[in-house]
Amino acid sequence: MPAPLARAWKPALIAAIVVVYISAVGLVEQFAEVFAIGTQVSVARVILLLPLFLAGWVATRPRVERGQRKVLAMPQAALSGAVTGVVGGAMVSVVLLVVDAVGPDTIGEVLIAVSTKLLGIVSFDQSLGTGIVLWLVLGGVVGALGGAVRALSPGARPLVLAGPVTIGVLAILQRVVSTAIKELGFRPDFLYDSKTSGLTWAGGIAAAVLVTLVVVGRDVLRSKPGEAASAAAGPPAAAGTAFGGFSTRQLVQGVIAIVAVLALPWVIGTALSGTVGTVMIFILLGLGLNIVVGFAGLLDLGYVAFFAFGAYATALLTGAQVNTTDGAGDPAFSLGLNFYIAVPFVVLLAAGVGLLIGSPVLRLRGDYLAIVTLGLGEVVSTLVTSKWAEGLVGGPQGMRDITGGDIGPTDFQNNPRHFYYLALVFVLAALYASWRLQYSRVGRAWNAMREDEQVADAMGISTTRYKLLAFATGGAIGSLGGALLAIQLGSLTPRSFDVNVSILALAVVILGGLGSLRGVMVGAFALVGLPGFLREFEEFRPLALGAVIIAIMLLRPQGILPNVRVTEDIADEDRAQDAWARSATSGQPTDEPAVEPA
Amino acid sequence: MTTELTSSERTDRTLRLAFPWGIWIRRVILAALVVLVVVAAIKTFTLPAQAPPGELSRYTADTWRSFIIGGLSEGAVLALIALGYSLVYGILRMINFAHGEVFMMGGFASYFVADRFNDNDLLSTNPLVAMVVILAVAIGVSVLVAILLERVCYRPLRNAPRLVPLITAIGASLFLQNTARGFFGPQARGYPQPEFLDGSWNLLGFKIDRIDLVMILVSIVLVAILDYFVSSTRTGRSMRAVALDADIAKLMGIDVDRVIVTTFAIGGMLAGVAGVMFAMRFEQISFTTGFRPGIAAFTAAVLGGIGSIRGAALGALLVGLLRSLGPALLVGFNIPSVFQLEDAITFLVLVFVLLYRPGGLLGSAAAEKL
Repeated sequence: MPAPLARAWKPALIAAIVVVYISAVGLVEQFAEVFAIGTQVSVARVILLLPLFLAGWVATRPRVERGQRKVLAMPQAALSGAVTGVVGGAMVSVVLLVVDAVGPDTIGEVLIAVSTKLLGIVSFDQSLGTGIVLWLVLGGVVGALGGAVRALSPGARPLVLAGPVTIGVLAILQRVVSTAIKELGFRPDFLYDSKTSGLTWAGGIAAAVLVTLVVVGRDVLRSKPGEAASAAAGPPAAAGTAFGGFSTRQLVQGVIAIVAVLALPWVIGTALSGTVGTVMIFILLGLGLNIVVGFAGLLDLGYVAFFAFGAYATALLTGAQVNTTDGAGDPAFSLGLNFYIAVPFVVLLAAGVGLLIGSPVLRLRGDYLAIVTLGLGEVVSTLVTSKWAEGLVGGPQGMRDITGGDIGPTDFQNNPRHFYYLALVFVLAALYASWRLQYSRVGRAWNAMREDEQVADAMGISTTRYKLLAFATGGAIGSLGGALLAIQLGSLTPRSFDVNVSILALAVVILGGLGSLRGVMVGAFALVGLPGFLREFEEFRPLALGAVIIAIMLLRPQGILPNVRVTEDIADEDRAQDAWARSATSGQPTDEPAVEPA
Repeated sequence: MTTELTSSERTDRTLRLAFPWGIWIRRVILAALVVLVVVAAIKTFTLPAQAPPGELSRYTADTWRSFIIGGLSEGAVLALIALGYSLVYGILRMINFAHGEVFMMGGFASYFVADRFNDNDLLSTNPLVAMVVILAVAIGVSVLVAILLERVCYRPLRNAPRLVPLITAIGASLFLQNTARGFFGPQARGYPQPEFLDGSWNLLGFKIDRIDLVMILVSIVLVAILDYFVSSTRTGRSMRAVALDADIAKLMGIDVDRVIVTTFAIGGMLAGVAGVMFAMRFEQISFTTGFRPGIAAFTAAVLGGIGSIRGAALGALLVGLLRSLGPALLVGFNIPSVFQLEDAITFLVLVFVLLYRPGGLLGSAAAEKL
């Protein structure tokens, strides 16, 4: 087999499987009418060709041959990528032919997404024959691009990728950006086509060129001899400390960030402010779970219990009504407290619940802990849904009339912009608490416990105490999220508190990186915000969550914005395990078949 | 090794030092639980035999019998799923969280065949052929999913820290569930029940639905075959060797990867059969079907002693009975819609088993090393 083909078939096969999978699961059809740019480039076509691009990228990765690292040069890499793309396109074509022969609507009786319409979309709205030719040609082009990007020098990659990435981001955030432009008093027509609501070619290319120029300009500035030295020296001490130990540049950045955060709801409009409010609720859940999982290393799959507790406790303490079959009634227990007086009580009680849930599971570690907390979380959601709980929390009907919290002219339930600021205060408080805890005595104790419980125990850390503390702190922060939800919605239904909340919160923490505070925010915006910004995606969020969790664990267990200390620990562990594996199998990677006795 | 304390023993010691009263709290909780169950049972059995409408009356003996049969047949399905958890845990020391989805996928895929056979009457005219094909499809899909799961999600992580494969398994569970949703549609499908399983037999005074009896028998036969397979065949011996010590097994010339794939395949096979039985019994299947039976089966595996085949079967029997009799026993407390609580009862059992007897009923001491 010639070299390019030998490299090609595996990535191509995986890419073809991905293409067939996303078509059969319904993703492609969902995005067929969503346009990224112009009227030709729909999101469906982008996601159909993206796997082949990645296949070209993967197929041209540097290899170790006879102890030497072989990097492909540009023409070879492009050729190799193109071969991969064509092979992948051919594999997809075979599937298309088979589907056409069997009859798409016959297959559609089992795989409901498959239909004549889908076959048309996957053939790029052409006849099957033209579609197959297009798959081979476009596959080759896209694969060659993937290979070519690989062969670029690392310095040149950002320049080339800046434009396409800009277009991608603008296309995904179309609703956000076009609302922002409108709110600022301009018409978004120059950037977004009002009919397809995708980018216009002119606007997209202009934005891409602009961003590329900025990237080039930055590089040019950096490459000046004097500037390069100061950039390499890290914080520009030469620029002087302007105020309180911060440099002028840091101050300017800080002020810009504060203004941006405060102005955000007025820029993105009312509807999206609501989405950001929900994102902030999940930032709170993520921060709380981050303490339990990221800092202390206790995998809690029943975190929804605290969310539910916070929400229902807030409702009961502020005098909400339960829904009954004939209107509303008073719950069995209720206080008419002001929201701001109720919240500290809710937080304290939630910490108590944390101790309660934490104390029986102290003996358990790792996977058993995960299953037991999952069970306890399910017990809580079963109980609030059951008719048994009807008198107290409304059972399946839930609660309503959660009021209080409004100060003067604010209206948290009907004006997402007002709610945004309330949520911001809560999030900042939780962030501050997490940040202070992280490297405090308590945080270091958690760290030690996460890495090795026995050693931590031997060093005099009371693991019992610190485990309980982690459950209590994490629970307290999670209950803040619940309190916010109660105020945001004004009513509660037990359906908001199922196991998926626990898993979503876990995914938020994992995507950003265990133990990383910035990571939690990025994770929440990516997993909770994105489906809100890109409405068509909502239906596929759980699927994407599962895929993201698997991909992160397989490819980058430290997350996308890792906490430095955790990363080092993981790397240490990896090294130790590598060493162990080498000694245990005497140089054979563990995947190799065992030695047969001679 | 003899002086090394297991994790739970160590925590016990720490607990005793940190909270001298902690052990007593545990004992008091256990005692309170026992008292609660006894009081509930007494209240339930002393309800008036005849009660005015709107008030509770005592269940008749027939009702109790039907609860027992229902529990046994649910236990039969759970046993087949629980074996999948137990086998994999025994070998990889890992909870295959996505196993419930393996079960659901098999059941769901076989629905399309079963539905076709129902339409063209093959299910009533030639039930044997129809059942064989339905089971073959379910087993095929379940085994395929189980093997893919091992190959894609677990094999690359075999030497990773233990939490990493577990989190991956949770992701895989979500992914498979929503794959089924995207592939087969979000709505629940009505699963046909073949005519020859309709109706009931009288057996020792028990009126038993044919399908329940068939399920119990199939389950017993499969558990017996598996028990023989693991204890007496060559492959079974290599499985036990890998479970004891994978590295030594490798040195002895056992292909560890193949043994692990075989284990996943066997688990998938049993899950496929369970999927068909479950769907036929409850006459419907949907993409969420896998979650709760999965957790209940896991509880069964833990209760019986995870890693042990007979333990899993015994645990499943108990969990099945508990799920059907538990709420009935609580009827005396006058809790509205008490049968909604069967999942809560299952989970509480799981929590208490792990707290008081983490090794399970038939578990070996090795399982104590949580």
